[in-house]
Amino acid sequence: MKFELTEEQNLIRDMVRSFAETELAPSTQSRDEEEHFDRELMFDKLAELGLTGIIFPEEYDGAGADYISYAIALEELSRVCASTGVTLAAHLSLAANPIYLFGTEEQKQKYLIPLALGEKMGAFGLTEPSAGSDAGSTKMSAVRDGDEWILNGTKIFISNGGEAEVYVVFARTDKEAEKHHGISGFIVEKDTPGFSFGNKEKKMGIRSSPTRELVFENCRIPAENILGNEGQGFKIAMETLDGGRIAVASQAVGIAQGALDEAVKYAKERKQFDTCITRFQGVQFQLADMATQINAARFLVYNAAYRASAGLSYSLESAMAKLMASETAMKVTTQAVQILGGYGYTREFPVERMMRDAKITEIYMGTSEIQRVVIGSTLIK
Amino acid sequence: MKILVCIKQVPDMESKFKIDGNGTWYDTNDLAWRMNEYDEYGVEQAVQLKEQMGDSDLTVLCIGSAQVKETMKKALAMGCDRGAHIEDDAADSHDPFEIGSIIAEYARDKEFDVIFTGMQSQDRGSGQVGILVAEMLDIPGVSTVVDFSYDDGTINVKRELEGGIKALVKLNTPALFTCQLGINTPRYPTLPNIMKAKRKELLTIPSSDLLKVACVQETSAIFFPEKKGGGLVLEGDSGDVADQLIEILKDKTAVLA
Repeated sequence: MKFELTEEQNLIRDMVRSFAETELAPSTQSRDEEEHFDRELMFDKLAELGLTGIIFPEEYDGAGADYISYAIALEELSRVCASTGVTLAAHLSLAANPIYLFGTEEQKQKYLIPLALGEKMGAFGLTEPSAGSDAGSTKMSAVRDGDEWILNGTKIFISNGGEAEVYVVFARTDKEAEKHHGISGFIVEKDTPGFSFGNKEKKMGIRSSPTRELVFENCRIPAENILGNEGQGFKIAMETLDGGRIAVASQAVGIAQGALDEAVKYAKERKQFDTCITRFQGVQFQLADMATQINAARFLVYNAAYRASAGLSYSLESAMAKLMASETAMKVTTQAVQILGGYGYTREFPVERMMRDAKITEIYMGTSEIQRVVIGSTLIK
Repeated sequence: MKILVCIKQVPDMESKFKIDGNGTWYDTNDLAWRMNEYDEYGVEQAVQLKEQMGDSDLTVLCIGSAQVKETMKKALAMGCDRGAHIEDDAADSHDPFEIGSIIAEYARDKEFDVIFTGMQSQDRGSGQVGILVAEMLDIPGVSTVVDFSYDDGTINVKRELEGGIKALVKLNTPALFTCQLGINTPRYPTLPNIMKAKRKELLTIPSSDLLKVACVQETSAIFFPEKKGGGLVLEGDSGDVADQLIEILKDKTAVLA
């Protein structure tokens, strides 16, 4: 066992860090304030760097890198801008990856390649108003009519919603079948008649990432746009979420690291009682705990990422990584605000944004409670 | 066209430096390493020239221990075609004359049309290596280049002089250029190019095969400057102070250049 990143992984970290600090950082705060999604900066530039297809093989115009490289890239983006992190995570893990894993060769040529190149952006629609953690309760329907499927229903809280050109969505194709077996996955293109978007959600955090409702009203899509086999949708969604959890865990590690970096920088400059506050062990101990928790979370992420790249099972490990990293992000960002005190509570400093951004990592891609269900049920299997 | 770009791996300048046991260099333990900033400009200019020429071959050269190969990979990922790693575990002990002669010896029979180096390294900062290489190869060398263009065998460059003055220089290949801040914005190595870099040729040559001169200067000590308090206090009425400040900004910085 070797706890050392490869030369390529180090180069990727340096490159993405440099990009994030130079290009993203200047506008992170204002994009958050204005809830502004800057597609050119937050997606097109990622495409130019080859990040939009990082884990896919070269034959599909990906970069052919491993999951650890992807985790590193997401951490570095999210360290500076968690909204950019989720833009990439939703596009790659949730839209492009299920097409790569379950799509036909024709679907890969038509959809995966432009997604990997970043010519098109992807999004994923699973959650419904009454089907959140209980994804098996999906109500949206898909009815076969000749060479087409007719979709009806709504999907909510969709990251990249309205901006993406390619949507992977899930709908019930068999009302009679047992709950989890009657669901199928579909690929839907933006601008398909009958497919529209609700208003942009006003969120607590990741405010420069657009989140919208998807509305399907007699939306007809070609029969060949079914993803995988009919009735395989729940399995596709769950496997997609396994990969997505590595992405959210990486995002959470990045948010936490960003907050720790800010806390250390501030603590080294801040003087109280005629001395630098880093001389107080109370502050040192907080920083030590934050750094230790972040590193523990990071290694859980790397472990899940390693297993995903090696073709080993990683459902348990990605749930552990996501649980640990998201709860670490929430704890560490809250402590960072505490260390910065009154300044930390203002928008003059980035830690309050990081604290708001961190909260979503405990909710989306499966709440912390769902991660515990995944982990617990595996233990007692 | 055959192009050579010479790079150096230097510590991250944000590092906390300590003087080594001999007192003649900094302690190289526990530092993060990266490409010398001025050499990044050299690599970018070399890649731009290669892209302009189409049919060309671009070699990146670096002297140092096996550790420098990581920095060479970045240059390969930015677009260099091949790497020449001159292996030398004691590269820091060589003076600029020795470093220059190693590069010149490597380049002598390879007929490079254009050679780029950084204007200086961020650690030693002698600013001599590029110019020494040009002299040793008996080709023109132009230093502190801030603008570069190539057209049909003729190269036009802009040089930066002190006090905000610039100079235009016209010359033919073969020639060597040392690159200064402002010449370009180095590209990010893209993911696919990072992955492809590991498949590019990276030859390792022992420096003992190329080092045929002895050192001509010796660093007897390096040290941190004594801490002075207060900085520079300008005195006089507001008009005088403003004039003095403008002169200092013109002379010592690039903000008014």
